[in-house]
Amino acid sequence: MAVAARGLPAPQGLLARWRERVFRSAPADAGEVVLRHSRIYILPTRRGLALIGTVATMILTSLNYGLSLGFLVAFLLAGLCAAALLHTFRNLAGLRVRPGSAGETFAGGSIPFTLQLRGDGRERCGIAVEPRDGPATFLDVDAEGTASAQVEVAAPRRGSVPLGRVTLSSDYPLGLWRGWSYVHFPVAGLAYPAPEAGAPPLPAPQGAADESGSLRHDDGELAGLRTYQHGDPLQRVAWKTVARGGGWYTKAFESGGGDGGEVVLDFAALPASLDTERRLERLCAWVLACERAARPCALVLPQRRVPAGVGREHRRVALTALALHGVS
Amino acid sequence: MKLPRLRRKASDPRRGRVAVPLTAAQSGWLGATILAAQLPGALHVPMWIALLGCALVALRLWLTARDRARPGLAAARIPSWALVIFAVAIATLLRASYGYLLGRDPSVAFLFVLVGIKFLESRTTRDGTLLVCLAAFLAITPFLFGQSPASAIAMLPALLLLGATLAALAARTPRAVAAAAPRRAVAQTGAMLLQGLPIALLLFVLFPRIAGPLWGMPQSSRATTGLSDTMSPGMIAELTQEDTVALRADFAGVPPPPSQLYWRGPVMSRFDGRTWSASFVRPDGSLTEPRDVGIDYTVTLEPNDRPWLFALELPAAMPEFSADEASIDVVVSRDRQLVARRSVGQVMRYRQRSLLSDRHPALARDAAENLRLPPDANPRTLSLAVQLRGQHAADREYVDAVLAHFRDGPFVYTLAPGVIHARDPVDGFLFETQRGFCEHYASAFAVLLRAAGIPARVVTGYQGGEFNRRGNYLIVRQSDAHAWVEAIVDGQWRRFDPTGAVSPLRIESGISRALSGALELPLFARLDAGFLKDAQLLFDAINHSWRRNVVGFDASRQREVWRSLRLDPALPGQAVGAIAIAGAAWMGVVLGWLAWRRGRRERVAAMWLDVCARLARAGLPREGHEGPLDYTARASRRWPDYAIAFHAIGEAYARLRYASVPSRERDALLAMLKRAVEVLPAPAALRGGG
Repeated sequence: MAVAARGLPAPQGLLARWRERVFRSAPADAGEVVLRHSRIYILPTRRGLALIGTVATMILTSLNYGLSLGFLVAFLLAGLCAAALLHTFRNLAGLRVRPGSAGETFAGGSIPFTLQLRGDGRERCGIAVEPRDGPATFLDVDAEGTASAQVEVAAPRRGSVPLGRVTLSSDYPLGLWRGWSYVHFPVAGLAYPAPEAGAPPLPAPQGAADESGSLRHDDGELAGLRTYQHGDPLQRVAWKTVARGGGWYTKAFESGGGDGGEVVLDFAALPASLDTERRLERLCAWVLACERAARPCALVLPQRRVPAGVGREHRRVALTALALHGVS
Repeated sequence: MKLPRLRRKASDPRRGRVAVPLTAAQSGWLGATILAAQLPGALHVPMWIALLGCALVALRLWLTARDRARPGLAAARIPSWALVIFAVAIATLLRASYGYLLGRDPSVAFLFVLVGIKFLESRTTRDGTLLVCLAAFLAITPFLFGQSPASAIAMLPALLLLGATLAALAARTPRAVAAAAPRRAVAQTGAMLLQGLPIALLLFVLFPRIAGPLWGMPQSSRATTGLSDTMSPGMIAELTQEDTVALRADFAGVPPPPSQLYWRGPVMSRFDGRTWSASFVRPDGSLTEPRDVGIDYTVTLEPNDRPWLFALELPAAMPEFSADEASIDVVVSRDRQLVARRSVGQVMRYRQRSLLSDRHPALARDAAENLRLPPDANPRTLSLAVQLRGQHAADREYVDAVLAHFRDGPFVYTLAPGVIHARDPVDGFLFETQRGFCEHYASAFAVLLRAAGIPARVVTGYQGGEFNRRGNYLIVRQSDAHAWVEAIVDGQWRRFDPTGAVSPLRIESGISRALSGALELPLFARLDAGFLKDAQLLFDAINHSWRRNVVGFDASRQREVWRSLRLDPALPGQAVGAIAIAGAAWMGVVLGWLAWRRGRRERVAAMWLDVCARLARAGLPREGHEGPLDYTARASRRWPDYAIAFHAIGEAYARLRYASVPSRERDALLAMLKRAVEVLPAPAALRGGG
């Protein structure tokens, strides 16, 4: 899911504008970005510097010993380096990039993002896609097709995690030059609070206390079948239907009359000894526990209330509320 | 808003902090590159070094192959400390064998082995980088020993493999690895070298050269010369003749006749009864007057490792190097020889003016220096001199009488006279063997003159040469080395060539005609006419042009080129500007060319996408998994009327897109694709027909 990151005001002043243009520190790219020469930077790699140093040594030697052929070889190598520069540039120039999906994770994990790369009629080899806080991904791009690059951005804390500036680079074909280009899309993923490890059991549901913590459902309480959604607990899959080849369905149960049987996870009801983050982590663990147990739960936060429900979508809404708690 | 961080992360491959191990393919490329860099130089290092250096590379390649064949086995690695000890041992051996280590030859030999040692212990791509740089440097070391066209060609494989190795080292993704497959990588490097060739030539012409060495003067170890500063007739059984070129001369006008081509070299005044030797160079000689008449020519002198420059008798001006080579200090010795302050260790070009004359004024002290004879050596020669002197009182008559003695006596000109065992070699030659070459005749002649009180000395140098009509220049080889005599007659030095008295052909037509048994001469001097001779002259013309324009392209020639390009040699900034402008133009041309090549591929893709779109509108969209051949096969089943067109489209597109097709066939395929697409009717018609 993509969440728009906060927009930044346009940079003021010539220097700031120039810096923004060079370093792309603001998420100002929208839609599809075409890497043109104004965006592409090229500098020699270490290997390139080593070879240039060797060429310089060869020239010095040739000067000393009057070796015309030494000059010739040194300059042929220099020509090779120059040609490699153009090829590296061409490998990046014209590449089209658009943001794909942004994933979610729990705090402490990393969020997968995808970027769609199109070759624009030219094959691209060995493109490195590298977010600021994550490892680089290497991929080839077809001349006509689309390649998607998946990168992971570390999410140490809960909240919205912007993809940030991504560096597309390549040292193809000879590894002597590294061309790179920055793209900065306003794309962000979500980091949910890390679920508390060893959280206490779920609070008693409102109304029907004797039903807590169990999965006892008789067939008589079965309300019907609904289409299986990814993430539904396996205990509730209608296996008989599946075995008959009738498709995937999930058993839906009567929730015991109105809101009476739902678990209410209330931020304010938690012990005062826990600070906000601890409380969110416990609530997160409980939301996941309810989901595993297929029990409907409602979430009450100081500024937000998530009505009771079950299923993947409900879980996502609840976790998002927890992730964004206190984030304006 | 945070400022962008410029710090690089540990995972960044640029930092090389993460050691990336070499793959077997990369090791293979590195080994091939190193071998290609080693082989051309293997002749210039000691045999054991050549074998050792190549064996180390082969050992590593063998280990890599073995590791690949048996992946389970722990990779055998020789510890680095052992290799360090090994390298030190090699250095010690080289020091012992050469007597020094920091010279050119032992350094080259050490580098030769060092590359092998480093390759043996290399593990990461960083080691690979170092090896590529070492191999690149090693590739130019053979030029220290000779810069022939052949050595330039021998260097090319190393250059091609080097580019391919770089591609292999940098390949990270499947397609880049595929591009680093042997044939493609070499082809790609060749293409890139060609694309970079304009830059290389531009730099070659415009990169500022400086005259003279930056540090110690290079000493070459293997220059050959047919001349030396001593001469001992009778000590050599057979003169080995060398094809090696001593110098080449371009004459502004018609070259002088062969009998006038005496290239003056070391002059020998001292004689101890057996050996003639040159006196110390006394740099107080004078040039021949007048200076304004004479013959002008340009000499391209091969290295001779001696401080000798050659000019036709008699030099009338100092050799004229281009302004930048003034550091080569040349003096005229008292014997009128051109002597440099240091050895000629590299090819030199100079303009020279000479007066073609066989006489020049003698100094007052010359007479005393050139009369000395050891009193008890060669008694029979001395008595012959006394006898002849009794008959001819005038110096001129006496000289003629001696020449007549050689001409009329049973003397034979041969390059294999055999060793003269007599205690007095001149006696032995004049009265016993009577066979010899220029040295024998010159020596005996000078002794006879001195014995009669006529001051005489032996002059060595080259005589004659071969005129190459293809290049309009004269080739003088080591086999043209010659010795003649100067004597003071009538108060001035006059040139006499006693060899000419015995064998006039030697002087008039060159050494090959002078010898009856031609087998004594080297192949090139022997071949007189016909196809082989022609080919040899053509080859030498190429070689001379190479010498003049490639090897001899130095600071002075560069200045000529600059001037012809209207660049001011005093302002190197102009040349830098020219390089920058030409470089920018080159970028535009190469990028434009690459874009034009892409244009064709794009046209193919556009046609295919057009066909797909039309078929989709006609109700037959392409499935995601379908290749061009499957799709067009399905279309021809649906519309059999157009089966041929569909087949052509699928075939042409698939081949153009996925196969490597030679360029001529590519044009044909493109035309076929275009025609087939034109044949297809509009989608509406297809829908109706289907």
